[in-house]
Amino acid sequence: MNLVKAVTLRGVQAKEVDVEVEIAGGLFSISIVGLPDASVREAKERVRAALKNSGVSLRGRIAVNLAPADMPKEGSMMDLPIAVSLAIRSRSITLDRPAIFIGELALDGRIRPVRGAISAAVLAKEQRLPLYAPVENSPQIGLVPEVEAYQVETLGQILSHLESGIPLPQVPPYKVEDLPLSVDPDWSDIRGQAMAKRALEIAAAGHHNVLMVGAPGSGKTMLARALRGILPPLSDGEILENLMVKGLLDSDDRPDRRPPFRVVHHTASTVSICGGGTALRPGEISLAHRGVLFLDEFTEFRRDLVEALRQPLEDGSIVVSRSSGTVTYPSRVLLVLAANPCPCGWWGDAVEPCRCSPSDLERYRRRLAGPVMDRIDLQVSVSRLSPEELVGLSSSHGESSSKVRERVSMARERQRARWSFGGWGCNSEVPEKTLRKHLNLSSEGKKTLLQMAEGFRLSARGMGRVLRVARTISDLAGDDGVSSSAVMEALAYRGEI
Amino acid sequence: MEPEHLKKGKMGEDMACRYLAGLGWPVLARNVRFRRGELDVISKDCDEMVVVEVRYRSVGILVPPEASVGPKKLRKLVLAGSAYMDRIGWSGFWRIDLIAITDRDGRISLEHYRDITGGDVSF
Ligand SMILES: [Zn+2]
Repeated sequence: MNLVKAVTLRGVQAKEVDVEVEIAGGLFSISIVGLPDASVREAKERVRAALKNSGVSLRGRIAVNLAPADMPKEGSMMDLPIAVSLAIRSRSITLDRPAIFIGELALDGRIRPVRGAISAAVLAKEQRLPLYAPVENSPQIGLVPEVEAYQVETLGQILSHLESGIPLPQVPPYKVEDLPLSVDPDWSDIRGQAMAKRALEIAAAGHHNVLMVGAPGSGKTMLARALRGILPPLSDGEILENLMVKGLLDSDDRPDRRPPFRVVHHTASTVSICGGGTALRPGEISLAHRGVLFLDEFTEFRRDLVEALRQPLEDGSIVVSRSSGTVTYPSRVLLVLAANPCPCGWWGDAVEPCRCSPSDLERYRRRLAGPVMDRIDLQVSVSRLSPEELVGLSSSHGESSSKVRERVSMARERQRARWSFGGWGCNSEVPEKTLRKHLNLSSEGKKTLLQMAEGFRLSARGMGRVLRVARTISDLAGDDGVSSSAVMEALAYRGEI
Repeated sequence: MEPEHLKKGKMGEDMACRYLAGLGWPVLARNVRFRRGELDVISKDCDEMVVVEVRYRSVGILVPPEASVGPKKLRKLVLAGSAYMDRIGWSGFWRIDLIAITDRDGRISLEHYRDITGGDVSF
């Protein structure tokens, strides 16, 4: 029976790999089947040297088979399981039960940390298998509850454990510290902008994607950054999801309850945003999972890139194709877009005149109404403050982030309770039909909507978005029904800019 | 030139055999010739057959003896070694060792390198 298991990563999921070893007489040679050719040579050298320096010399013709062979694998994570398999065979050690091993070997036998350790720990927990992992990966592995994991520093240490039962230290459980949730800038640092702040509060509460339109220097970026501070803190499960994505990169960020905030510039490549590439890495949209993805100067983004965002926004996960198949990364993000109101930037500004021709404006609006616009529930204008306004407002600070966050969290709680039968967390996730059915729209609200829909020439889809936002506005107010005033407010963000 | 070279080679092999005897390893064969090359000494270390390549150098030549076994020579040794194991029907483990002997005006030093292919020769 084969007892030594390795893992390979498929997106954020770790998949089990069987390590099978055959040793026959002859001159020493190792062949490894099931690894990409490029990594075989290096793996052989590391494994052999590490074993030699741990007192195991290999001989004969050795065939290592990593099964299933057609599953693409990353080489360096396989070092430890291969070395353990070989040592077990050469020294006639018996394992009393199957176990998962992860780790890259240094030539001297030390075990180096690997990417994807959390994913491996999640698999080990699911399969109820013990995990032997590099000590440097312990903070990540310790986040996975109820996993049986041992931390190892050298190959020699693991061999004497397997051979003579010398105990290995278990990975201690790692608790996420409750670090302050504050971000820079605080909500109260933003002066004026009452309408934009309100729109972002609604966006945070219902997890609605939002577009901010405003002249350069009106503070769109500052607002987007502050939005992160009013989002509810991540749960343990969400932190784990997030770290599984991050763990695929070489990142040693400490676990944080603050939702991620990622800014993407319009010059970014599709791979850097969506993920993929030769090394197969998650993109910004996955790194922003459970947080904010901010696209500044949205109209400058290439159309194909915007098009590529549609599906992941809809599904909450992104499928990346590569020659050997596809992988899936999570991508549940709150999308925040920012754009100028016109090509010159000053359309609607109180001071600067707009210098754009009507055809310029027309072209620009068409670009703005691009492929993801039907995923945007809220649109809001952000205008520059006049010097007088700035002076007048300087003394009156608004609510702090923590105050608003409390309200947002309460609204989230109400949504979770309402939609628990379908497993949805926010109003934005609920299918249109279900939303309408459980909306609890007041008769006044209904009347208002019908009147306005005609006046604003709202499409059916547009009306759906208004209702969704109105539901969130009511949840923020602690209202079980949806009132006429909630509908009125939602209509203000419908986006006819 | 040629006879002198052969004589030196023979001297080196004799020394190597005495050294192996000191280790308690039997000398199973010497100067096994193949179409593609020659094996200097065949010995055995416990349950493992050992093809011993002997290099003899006197000082004045800058290249140390152990450096004179290049990848081409290694490949030849592997091929000849495999042919030898086939010929005698050996299906157990085997390896290639190098014994490098240096003569510094009569002061002889001997170095023994085990398993010089290290698994890196692909054939
Ligand atoms: Zn303009």
